[in-house]
Amino acid sequence: MRLRPPRPEDFRSPAHTPAVAARIGLWLGVAFTVCFLTGLLSHAAQHPPGWFTWPTRPVSLYRITQGAHVISGVAAIPLLLAKLWSVYPRLFIRPPSRPPGRAVAHGAERLSILVLLCAAFFELASGLFNAVQSYPWRFFFVETHYAAGWIAAGALAVHIGVKLPRIGGGLGERPDPRRRAFLRIAWLSTGAAVLATAGGTVPWLSRVSVLAWRSPGGPQGLPVNRTAAAAGIQVPANWRLAITWPGGTAELTLDELATLRQRTATLPIACVEGWSATATWTGVPVPDLLAAVGAPTRRAIRVSSLEQSGLYATSLLPPAHTADPLTLLALRVNGEVLSADHGFPCRIIAPSRPGVLQTKWVTRLEVLA
Amino acid sequence: MKAVPIARATLVLGGAAVTGYGGWLLWPQLPAAWTWLVAGPILHDAVVAPAVGVAGLTLGRLIPDPARRAWVAAGLTISAVLVLVALPLLWRPQPAPINPGLHDRDYVQGLIVALFAIWAGVAVAAASRPRHRRGDRDPG
Repeated sequence: MRLRPPRPEDFRSPAHTPAVAARIGLWLGVAFTVCFLTGLLSHAAQHPPGWFTWPTRPVSLYRITQGAHVISGVAAIPLLLAKLWSVYPRLFIRPPSRPPGRAVAHGAERLSILVLLCAAFFELASGLFNAVQSYPWRFFFVETHYAAGWIAAGALAVHIGVKLPRIGGGLGERPDPRRRAFLRIAWLSTGAAVLATAGGTVPWLSRVSVLAWRSPGGPQGLPVNRTAAAAGIQVPANWRLAITWPGGTAELTLDELATLRQRTATLPIACVEGWSATATWTGVPVPDLLAAVGAPTRRAIRVSSLEQSGLYATSLLPPAHTADPLTLLALRVNGEVLSADHGFPCRIIAPSRPGVLQTKWVTRLEVLA
Repeated sequence: MKAVPIARATLVLGGAAVTGYGGWLLWPQLPAAWTWLVAGPILHDAVVAPAVGVAGLTLGRLIPDPARRAWVAAGLTISAVLVLVALPLLWRPQPAPINPGLHDRDYVQGLIVALFAIWAGVAVAAASRPRHRRGDRDPG
Protein backbone atom coordinates (compact mmCIF):
# COMPACT_ATOMS: atom_id res chain seq x y z
CA MET A 1 0.00 0.00 0.00
CA ARG A 2 1.42 3.37 -1.02
CA LEU A 3 1.07 6.29 1.35
CA ARG A 4 -0.63 9.36 -0.13
CA PRO A 5 -2.21 12.46 1.34
CA PRO A 6 -5.79 11.80 2.45
CA ARG A 7 -8.72 12.94 0.32
CA PRO A 8 -12.00 14.25 1.72
CA GLU A 9 -13.82 11.05 0.70
CA ASP A 10 -11.41 8.95 2.81
CA PHE A 11 -13.15 10.21 5.96
CA ARG A 12 -16.22 8.12 6.66
CA SER A 13 -17.11 9.10 10.23
CA PRO A 14 -20.73 10.28 10.60
CA ALA A 15 -19.35 13.54 12.00
CA HIS A 16 -18.30 14.84 8.61
CA THR A 17 -21.57 16.29 7.32
CA PRO A 18 -23.03 19.79 7.05
CA ALA A 19 -25.87 18.75 9.39
CA VAL A 20 -23.33 18.12 12.18
CA ALA A 21 -20.99 21.01 11.35
CA ALA A 22 -23.86 23.53 11.26
CA ARG A 23 -25.32 22.39 14.59
CA ILE A 24 -22.01 22.48 16.47
CA GLY A 25 -21.07 25.67 14.65
CA LEU A 26 -24.27 27.31 15.83
CA TRP A 27 -23.47 26.64 19.50
CA LEU A 28 -19.81 27.50 19.02
CA GLY A 29 -20.98 30.79 17.51
CA VAL A 30 -23.19 31.42 20.56
CA ALA A 31 -20.27 30.67 22.92
CA PHE A 32 -17.90 32.93 20.97
CA THR A 33 -20.44 35.75 20.85
CA VAL A 34 -21.06 35.61 24.61
CA CYS A 35 -17.32 35.42 25.21
CA PHE A 36 -16.56 38.36 22.90
CA LEU A 37 -19.29 40.66 24.25
CA THR A 38 -18.53 39.93 27.92
CA GLY A 39 -14.84 40.39 27.12
CA LEU A 40 -15.55 43.84 25.69
CA LEU A 41 -17.58 44.69 28.80
CA SER A 42 -14.76 43.58 31.08
CA HIS A 43 -12.24 45.59 29.10
CA ALA A 44 -14.49 48.65 29.31
CA ALA A 45 -14.97 48.14 33.06
CA GLN A 46 -11.21 48.04 33.63
CA HIS A 47 -10.11 50.61 31.07
CA PRO A 48 -13.23 52.76 30.75
CA PRO A 49 -13.37 55.09 27.76
CA GLY A 50 -14.70 58.57 28.54
CA TRP A 51 -18.23 57.87 27.34
CA PHE A 52 -18.61 54.66 29.31
CA THR A 53 -20.06 54.28 32.81
CA TRP A 54 -20.12 50.86 34.40
CA PRO A 55 -23.28 50.59 36.52
CA THR A 56 -23.14 49.86 40.26
CA ARG A 57 -26.26 47.67 40.18
CA PRO A 58 -26.87 44.80 40.30
CA VAL A 59 -23.97 44.36 42.73
CA SER A 60 -23.16 41.03 41.02
CA LEU A 61 -23.08 42.48 37.51
CA TYR A 62 -19.34 42.08 36.94
CA ARG A 63 -19.40 38.71 38.64
CA ILE A 64 -22.05 37.55 36.17
CA THR A 65 -20.51 39.02 33.01
CA GLN A 66 -17.00 37.82 33.80
CA GLY A 67 -18.24 34.41 34.97
CA ALA A 68 -20.08 34.13 31.63
CA HIS A 69 -16.89 35.18 29.82
CA VAL A 70 -14.77 32.42 31.34
CA ILE A 71 -17.50 29.74 31.27
CA SER A 72 -18.34 30.41 27.61
CA GLY A 73 -14.62 30.25 26.82
CA VAL A 74 -14.30 26.87 28.55
CA ALA A 75 -17.42 25.63 26.71
CA ALA A 76 -15.91 26.74 23.41
CA ILE A 77 -12.90 24.40 23.84
CA PRO A 78 -14.74 21.09 23.21
CA LEU A 79 -17.12 22.79 20.78
CA LEU A 80 -14.23 24.12 18.67
CA LEU A 81 -12.54 20.71 18.62
CA ALA A 82 -15.80 18.98 17.65
CA LYS A 83 -16.49 21.56 14.94
CA LEU A 84 -13.01 21.15 13.49
CA TRP A 85 -13.25 17.38 13.52
CA SER A 86 -16.53 17.68 11.65
CA VAL A 87 -14.98 19.75 8.85
CA TYR A 88 -11.44 18.29 8.98
CA PRO A 89 -11.80 16.41 5.63
CA ARG A 90 -12.27 19.75 3.89
CA LEU A 91 -8.67 20.59 4.76
CA PHE A 92 -7.69 18.08 2.06
CA ILE A 93 -9.82 19.48 -0.78
CA ARG A 94 -7.64 20.13 -3.83
CA PRO A 95 -7.64 23.87 -4.55
CA PRO A 96 -9.30 24.62 -7.92
CA SER A 97 -6.74 25.77 -10.50
CA ARG A 98 -9.27 27.44 -12.81
CA PRO A 99 -11.01 29.66 -13.45
CA PRO A 100 -8.61 32.08 -11.74
CA GLY A 101 -11.48 33.82 -9.95
CA ARG A 102 -12.51 30.61 -8.19
CA ALA A 103 -8.91 29.81 -7.26
CA VAL A 104 -8.48 33.24 -5.70
CA ALA A 105 -11.81 32.98 -3.83
CA HIS A 106 -10.83 29.54 -2.54
CA GLY A 107 -7.46 30.86 -1.35
CA ALA A 108 -9.06 33.89 0.30
CA GLU A 109 -11.58 31.72 2.13
CA ARG A 110 -8.83 29.40 3.39
CA LEU A 111 -6.82 32.39 4.56
CA SER A 112 -9.85 33.79 6.43
CA ILE A 113 -10.35 30.42 8.15
CA LEU A 114 -6.66 30.25 9.08
CA VAL A 115 -6.90 33.73 10.62
CA LEU A 116 -10.06 32.69 12.47
CA LEU A 117 -8.43 29.54 13.84
CA CYS A 118 -5.19 31.28 14.86
CA ALA A 119 -7.21 33.85 16.80
CA ALA A 120 -9.72 31.33 18.23
CA PHE A 121 -7.10 28.88 19.52
CA PHE A 122 -5.03 31.78 20.84
CA GLU A 123 -7.97 33.23 22.78
CA LEU A 124 -8.94 29.90 24.34
CA ALA A 125 -5.36 28.88 25.21
CA SER A 126 -4.17 32.26 26.50
CA GLY A 127 -7.43 32.75 28.43
CA LEU A 128 -7.12 29.34 30.08
CA PHE A 129 -3.50 29.94 31.12
CA ASN A 130 -4.40 33.41 32.39
CA ALA A 131 -7.26 31.95 34.44
CA VAL A 132 -4.78 29.72 36.27
CA GLN A 133 -2.40 32.70 36.65
CA SER A 134 0.31 31.09 34.55
CA TYR A 135 2.06 33.29 31.99
CA PRO A 136 4.43 31.25 29.78
CA TRP A 137 4.82 34.04 27.20
CA ARG A 138 6.47 37.41 26.62
CA PHE A 139 3.59 39.38 25.07
CA PHE A 140 1.28 41.61 27.14
CA PHE A 141 -1.73 39.46 27.92
CA VAL A 142 -4.41 42.16 28.19
CA GLU A 143 -3.50 43.91 24.91
CA THR A 144 -2.98 40.69 22.95
CA HIS A 145 -6.06 38.85 24.26
CA TYR A 146 -8.14 41.96 23.51
CA ALA A 147 -6.76 42.39 19.98
CA ALA A 148 -7.12 38.70 19.08
CA GLY A 149 -10.71 38.87 20.34
CA TRP A 150 -11.50 41.47 17.66
CA ILE A 151 -9.73 39.33 15.05
CA ALA A 152 -11.70 36.23 16.06
CA ALA A 153 -14.99 38.14 16.02
CA GLY A 154 -14.31 39.69 12.61
CA ALA A 155 -13.05 36.48 11.02
CA LEU A 156 -16.06 34.62 12.45
CA ALA A 157 -18.41 37.14 10.83
CA VAL A 158 -16.60 36.64 7.49
CA HIS A 159 -16.86 32.85 7.90
CA ILE A 160 -20.60 33.00 8.67
CA GLY A 161 -21.14 35.32 5.70
CA VAL A 162 -19.31 32.96 3.34
CA LYS A 163 -21.05 29.84 4.67
CA LEU A 164 -24.56 31.23 5.21
CA PRO A 165 -26.31 29.09 2.53
CA ARG A 166 -24.42 25.99 3.70
CA ILE A 167 -25.36 26.69 7.35
CA GLY A 168 -29.02 26.99 6.33
CA GLY A 169 -28.80 23.73 4.40
CA GLY A 170 -27.02 21.94 7.26
CA LEU A 171 -29.54 23.08 9.87
CA GLY A 172 -32.43 22.07 7.61
CA GLU A 173 -31.09 18.55 7.27
CA ARG A 174 -32.14 16.07 9.98
CA PRO A 175 -29.14 14.16 11.38
CA ASP A 176 -29.48 10.36 11.38
CA PRO A 177 -28.93 8.35 14.62
CA ARG A 178 -25.16 7.97 14.14
CA ARG A 179 -24.76 11.71 13.59
CA ARG A 180 -26.94 12.38 16.60
CA ALA A 181 -24.60 10.16 18.64
CA PHE A 182 -21.64 12.34 17.63
CA LEU A 183 -23.57 15.50 18.52
CA ARG A 184 -24.52 14.02 21.88
CA ILE A 185 -20.85 13.36 22.65
CA ALA A 186 -20.03 16.98 21.77
CA TRP A 187 -22.77 18.31 24.10
CA LEU A 188 -21.74 15.90 26.88
CA SER A 189 -18.08 16.89 26.77
CA THR A 190 -19.03 20.58 26.68
CA GLY A 191 -21.21 20.06 29.75
CA ALA A 192 -18.43 18.15 31.49
CA ALA A 193 -15.88 20.92 30.85
CA VAL A 194 -18.31 23.55 32.19
CA LEU A 195 -19.27 21.48 35.26
CA ALA A 196 -15.61 20.81 36.02
CA THR A 197 -14.71 24.52 36.16
CA ALA A 198 -17.80 26.70 36.75
CA GLY A 199 -17.73 26.13 40.54
CA GLY A 200 -15.07 28.83 40.76
CA THR A 201 -17.87 31.36 40.43
CA VAL A 202 -21.16 29.37 40.78
CA PRO A 203 -21.36 28.58 44.52
CA TRP A 204 -23.54 25.45 44.35
CA LEU A 205 -21.10 23.86 41.89
CA SER A 206 -17.98 24.44 43.99
CA ARG A 207 -17.91 20.83 45.27
CA VAL A 208 -18.57 19.36 41.82
CA SER A 209 -16.05 21.48 39.95
CA VAL A 210 -12.88 19.52 40.59
CA LEU A 211 -10.94 21.79 38.21
CA ALA A 212 -12.23 25.15 39.53
CA TRP A 213 -9.52 27.81 39.86
CA ARG A 214 -10.46 28.68 43.43
CA SER A 215 -11.03 26.45 46.40
CA PRO A 216 -14.12 26.95 48.55
CA GLY A 217 -12.17 28.44 51.48
CA GLY A 218 -9.25 30.79 51.71
CA PRO A 219 -8.09 32.95 54.62
CA GLN A 220 -11.08 34.66 56.33
CA GLY A 221 -13.30 32.71 53.93
CA LEU A 222 -12.03 34.49 50.83
CA PRO A 223 -9.28 33.79 48.28
CA VAL A 224 -6.34 36.19 48.09
CA ASN A 225 -5.24 37.33 44.63
CA ARG A 226 -2.11 39.15 45.75
CA THR A 227 -0.51 38.68 49.15
CA ALA A 228 0.91 41.51 51.24
CA ALA A 229 4.32 39.88 50.89
CA ALA A 230 4.07 39.75 47.08
CA ALA A 231 3.03 43.42 47.03
CA GLY A 232 5.86 44.36 49.44
CA ILE A 233 3.48 45.91 51.97
CA GLN A 234 4.83 47.34 55.24
CA VAL A 235 2.13 49.25 57.13
CA PRO A 236 3.94 52.12 58.93
CA ALA A 237 3.27 52.53 62.66
CA ASN A 238 2.03 56.09 62.07
CA TRP A 239 -0.32 55.04 59.23
CA ARG A 240 -2.96 57.65 58.40
CA LEU A 241 -5.58 57.74 55.67
CA ALA A 242 -5.02 60.91 53.66
CA ILE A 243 -8.03 62.42 51.89
CA THR A 244 -7.35 65.30 49.53
CA TRP A 245 -9.65 67.39 47.38
CA PRO A 246 -9.25 70.63 45.47
CA GLY A 247 -8.86 73.13 48.29
CA GLY A 248 -8.51 70.81 51.29
CA THR A 249 -6.94 67.80 52.96
CA ALA A 250 -7.73 65.61 55.94
CA GLU A 251 -5.98 62.79 57.76
CA LEU A 252 -7.63 60.04 59.79
CA THR A 253 -6.13 57.37 61.99
CA LEU A 254 -7.49 53.85 61.99
CA ASP A 255 -9.18 54.53 65.35
CA GLU A 256 -10.86 57.62 63.94
CA LEU A 257 -12.09 55.60 60.96
CA ALA A 258 -13.46 52.97 63.33
CA THR A 259 -15.46 55.55 65.30
CA LEU A 260 -17.30 56.73 62.17
CA ARG A 261 -20.68 55.09 61.51
CA GLN A 262 -19.99 51.65 60.04
CA ARG A 263 -22.06 49.82 57.50
CA THR A 264 -22.07 46.07 56.85
CA ALA A 265 -22.77 44.86 53.33
CA THR A 266 -22.64 41.52 51.57
CA LEU A 267 -20.78 42.07 48.33
CA PRO A 268 -19.05 39.76 45.88
CA ILE A 269 -15.46 40.17 44.87
CA ALA A 270 -15.21 39.06 41.26
CA CYS A 271 -11.92 38.59 39.50
CA VAL A 272 -11.14 39.00 35.81
CA GLU A 273 -9.87 35.41 35.95
CA GLY A 274 -13.45 34.22 36.33
CA TRP A 275 -13.62 33.30 40.01
CA SER A 276 -15.78 35.14 42.49
CA ALA A 277 -16.54 34.96 46.20
CA THR A 278 -19.13 36.67 48.36
CA ALA A 279 -18.17 38.12 51.73
CA THR A 280 -19.68 40.30 54.43
CA TRP A 281 -17.74 43.53 54.62
CA THR A 282 -17.88 46.19 57.34
CA GLY A 283 -16.51 49.69 56.94
CA VAL A 284 -17.28 53.33 56.32
CA PRO A 285 -19.43 54.11 53.27
CA VAL A 286 -17.29 56.28 50.99
CA PRO A 287 -19.94 59.03 50.54
CA ASP A 288 -20.28 59.28 54.37
CA LEU A 289 -16.51 59.41 54.77
CA LEU A 290 -16.19 62.25 52.25
CA ALA A 291 -19.04 64.16 53.88
CA ALA A 292 -17.52 63.65 57.35
CA VAL A 293 -14.27 65.40 56.39
CA GLY A 294 -16.04 68.04 54.29
CA ALA A 295 -14.82 66.79 50.92
CA PRO A 296 -17.04 67.08 47.83
CA THR A 297 -19.02 63.94 47.02
CA ARG A 298 -20.18 62.48 43.71
CA ARG A 299 -16.82 63.00 42.03
CA ALA A 300 -14.24 60.53 40.79
CA ILE A 301 -11.63 59.45 43.36
CA ARG A 302 -8.13 58.19 42.78
CA VAL A 303 -7.43 55.47 45.36
CA SER A 304 -3.76 54.83 46.20
CA SER A 305 -2.38 51.77 47.87
CA LEU A 306 0.68 51.34 50.08
CA GLU A 307 1.90 49.20 47.19
CA GLN A 308 4.68 51.17 45.54
CA SER A 309 4.53 49.82 41.99
CA GLY A 310 2.44 47.48 39.92
CA LEU A 311 -0.45 47.99 37.54
CA TYR A 312 -3.05 48.10 40.28
CA ALA A 313 -1.29 50.21 42.94
CA THR A 314 -3.91 52.86 42.22
CA SER A 315 -7.46 52.71 40.92
CA LEU A 316 -9.98 55.24 39.76
CA LEU A 317 -13.37 55.09 41.46
CA PRO A 318 -15.89 56.70 39.09
CA PRO A 319 -18.59 59.11 40.37
CA ALA A 320 -21.34 56.46 40.18
CA HIS A 321 -19.37 54.35 42.67
CA THR A 322 -18.21 57.15 45.02
CA ALA A 323 -21.86 58.25 45.36
CA ASP A 324 -23.03 54.71 46.17
CA PRO A 325 -23.56 54.02 49.89
CA LEU A 326 -22.58 50.39 49.28
CA THR A 327 -19.06 51.47 48.29
CA LEU A 328 -17.16 50.87 51.50
CA LEU A 329 -13.75 51.66 52.83
CA ALA A 330 -13.79 48.28 54.55
CA LEU A 331 -12.01 47.62 57.86
CA ARG A 332 -13.44 44.14 58.48
CA VAL A 333 -14.40 41.07 56.47
CA ASN A 334 -16.63 38.20 57.61
CA GLY A 335 -16.62 39.55 61.18
CA GLU A 336 -12.82 39.85 61.54
CA VAL A 337 -10.36 42.70 61.15
CA LEU A 338 -8.93 42.55 57.61
CA SER A 339 -5.86 40.36 57.51
CA ALA A 340 -2.68 41.71 55.91
CA ASP A 341 -3.41 39.71 52.73
CA HIS A 342 -6.95 41.10 52.48
CA GLY A 343 -5.74 44.71 52.69
CA PHE A 344 -5.19 45.78 56.35
CA PRO A 345 -5.62 48.53 57.48
CA CYS A 346 -8.41 49.25 54.97
CA ARG A 347 -9.50 48.46 51.45
CA ILE A 348 -12.05 49.57 48.91
CA ILE A 349 -14.95 47.22 48.24
CA ALA A 350 -17.47 48.57 45.77
CA PRO A 351 -20.50 46.91 44.17
CA SER A 352 -20.03 45.47 40.67
CA ARG A 353 -16.34 46.16 40.09
CA PRO A 354 -13.52 44.03 38.68
CA GLY A 355 -11.54 42.58 41.60
CA VAL A 356 -8.24 44.19 40.61
CA LEU A 357 -9.84 47.62 41.10
CA GLN A 358 -10.92 46.81 44.68
CA THR A 359 -7.72 48.42 45.92
CA LYS A 360 -6.16 47.00 49.11
CA TRP A 361 -3.85 48.64 51.70
CA VAL A 362 -5.42 52.04 50.99
CA THR A 363 -3.36 55.04 52.11
CA ARG A 364 -4.80 57.93 50.13
CA LEU A 365 -8.09 59.02 48.56
CA GLU A 366 -7.77 61.88 46.11
CA VAL A 367 -11.04 63.55 45.09
CA LEU A 368 -10.55 64.73 41.53
CA ALA A 369 -11.78 68.08 40.25
CA MET B 1 -30.74 42.69 -4.22
CA LYS B 2 -32.42 40.29 -1.83
CA ALA B 3 -32.00 40.16 1.94
CA VAL B 4 -29.67 37.15 2.06
CA PRO B 5 -27.02 38.52 -0.31
CA ILE B 6 -27.10 41.83 1.56
CA ALA B 7 -26.66 40.02 4.88
CA ARG B 8 -23.77 37.99 3.45
CA ALA B 9 -22.02 41.02 2.00
CA THR B 10 -22.45 42.91 5.30
CA LEU B 11 -21.03 40.00 7.31
CA VAL B 12 -18.04 39.55 4.98
CA LEU B 13 -17.17 43.24 4.56
CA GLY B 14 -17.94 44.21 8.16
CA GLY B 15 -16.08 41.15 9.42
CA ALA B 16 -13.06 41.99 7.28
CA ALA B 17 -13.02 45.53 8.69
CA VAL B 18 -13.27 44.25 12.29
CA THR B 19 -10.50 41.73 11.61
CA GLY B 20 -8.37 44.56 10.26
CA TYR B 21 -9.01 46.61 13.41
CA GLY B 22 -7.94 43.63 15.53
CA GLY B 23 -4.83 43.18 13.41
CA TRP B 24 -3.94 46.84 13.90
CA LEU B 25 -4.33 46.42 17.68
CA LEU B 26 -2.31 43.21 17.60
CA TRP B 27 0.56 44.53 15.49
CA PRO B 28 2.83 45.75 18.36
CA GLN B 29 2.51 42.38 20.14
CA LEU B 30 3.09 40.27 17.03
CA PRO B 31 6.86 39.72 17.44
CA ALA B 32 6.28 38.20 20.91
CA ALA B 33 2.95 36.50 20.19
CA TRP B 34 3.24 34.96 16.72
CA THR B 35 4.34 31.52 17.95
CA TRP B 36 1.29 31.32 20.21
CA LEU B 37 -0.91 32.50 17.34
CA VAL B 38 0.18 29.89 14.78
CA ALA B 39 0.64 27.03 17.26
CA GLY B 40 -3.08 26.22 17.58
CA PRO B 41 -3.93 25.39 13.94
CA ILE B 42 -0.62 23.55 13.42
CA LEU B 43 -1.00 21.42 16.56
CA HIS B 44 -4.62 20.71 15.73
CA ASP B 45 -4.22 19.82 12.06
CA ALA B 46 -0.99 17.85 12.43
CA VAL B 47 -1.42 16.19 15.83
CA VAL B 48 -4.89 16.38 17.40
CA ALA B 49 -7.09 15.63 14.38
CA PRO B 50 -4.94 12.71 13.09
CA ALA B 51 -4.92 11.27 16.63
CA VAL B 52 -8.73 11.50 16.73
CA GLY B 53 -8.89 9.76 13.35
CA VAL B 54 -6.60 6.93 14.45
CA ALA B 55 -8.56 6.56 17.71
CA GLY B 56 -11.82 6.37 15.73
CA LEU B 57 -10.48 3.72 13.37
CA THR B 58 -9.07 1.69 16.27
CA LEU B 59 -12.38 1.88 18.14
CA GLY B 60 -14.19 0.72 15.00
CA ARG B 61 -11.98 -2.39 14.87
CA LEU B 62 -12.10 -3.14 18.63
CA ILE B 63 -15.80 -2.52 19.32
CA PRO B 64 -18.05 -3.59 16.46
CA ASP B 65 -21.29 -2.77 18.29
CA PRO B 66 -22.16 0.86 17.42
CA ALA B 67 -24.06 1.62 20.63
CA ARG B 68 -21.23 0.41 22.85
CA ARG B 69 -18.70 2.11 20.65
CA ALA B 70 -20.57 5.41 21.04
CA TRP B 71 -20.41 5.11 24.84
CA VAL B 72 -16.69 4.35 24.82
CA ALA B 73 -16.12 7.20 22.35
CA ALA B 74 -18.05 9.50 24.71
CA GLY B 75 -15.88 8.38 27.64
CA LEU B 76 -12.69 8.95 25.69
CA THR B 77 -13.79 12.37 24.42
CA ILE B 78 -14.93 13.65 27.82
CA SER B 79 -11.74 12.33 29.45
CA ALA B 80 -9.56 14.03 26.83
CA VAL B 81 -11.42 17.34 27.23
CA LEU B 82 -11.06 17.26 31.02
CA VAL B 83 -7.35 16.44 30.77
CA LEU B 84 -6.94 19.31 28.30
CA VAL B 85 -8.72 21.79 30.60
CA ALA B 86 -6.72 20.48 33.59
CA LEU B 87 -3.37 20.74 31.80
CA PRO B 88 -2.66 24.43 32.57
CA LEU B 89 -3.70 23.85 36.22
CA LEU B 90 -1.43 20.85 36.67
CA TRP B 91 1.48 22.32 34.73
CA ARG B 92 1.32 26.09 35.56
CA PRO B 93 4.53 27.24 33.87
CA GLN B 94 5.75 30.68 35.01
CA PRO B 95 2.99 31.11 37.58
CA ALA B 96 2.09 34.09 39.75
CA PRO B 97 3.32 33.79 43.37
CA ILE B 98 1.25 31.39 45.51
CA ASN B 99 -2.09 32.93 46.41
CA PRO B 100 -4.02 31.32 49.27
CA GLY B 101 -7.45 30.08 48.19
CA LEU B 102 -6.57 30.08 44.48
CA HIS B 103 -5.38 27.11 42.43
CA ASP B 104 -4.83 25.16 45.62
CA ARG B 105 -7.25 22.27 45.21
CA ASP B 106 -5.84 18.78 44.80
CA TYR B 107 -6.35 18.78 41.04
CA VAL B 108 -4.70 15.39 40.45
CA GLN B 109 -7.10 13.78 42.89
CA GLY B 110 -10.06 15.72 41.45
CA LEU B 111 -9.20 14.66 37.91
CA ILE B 112 -8.81 11.01 38.95
CA VAL B 113 -12.19 11.07 40.71
CA ALA B 114 -13.85 12.68 37.67
CA LEU B 115 -12.31 10.16 35.26
CA PHE B 116 -13.33 7.30 37.53
CA ALA B 117 -16.92 8.59 37.60
CA ILE B 118 -16.98 8.97 33.82
CA TRP B 119 -15.69 5.47 33.14
CA ALA B 120 -17.97 3.92 35.76
CA GLY B 121 -20.86 5.57 33.89
CA VAL B 122 -19.55 4.33 30.54
CA ALA B 123 -19.18 0.78 31.89
CA VAL B 124 -22.74 0.72 33.24
CA ALA B 125 -24.22 2.25 30.07
CA ALA B 126 -22.26 0.01 27.70
CA ALA B 127 -23.15 -3.13 29.69
CA SER B 128 -26.85 -2.32 29.88
CA ARG B 129 -27.23 -1.63 26.14
CA PRO B 130 -28.63 -4.56 24.18
CA ARG B 131 -26.27 -5.77 21.46
CA HIS B 132 -27.15 -4.59 18.00
CA ARG B 133 -28.24 -7.04 15.33
CA ARG B 134 -25.60 -8.61 13.14
CA GLY B 135 -24.90 -6.74 9.96
CA ASP B 136 -25.33 -3.40 11.70
CA ARG B 137 -21.59 -2.77 11.67
CA ASP B 138 -20.31 0.37 10.15
CA PRO B 139 -16.94 1.96 9.67
CA GLY B 140 -15.60 4.42 12.25
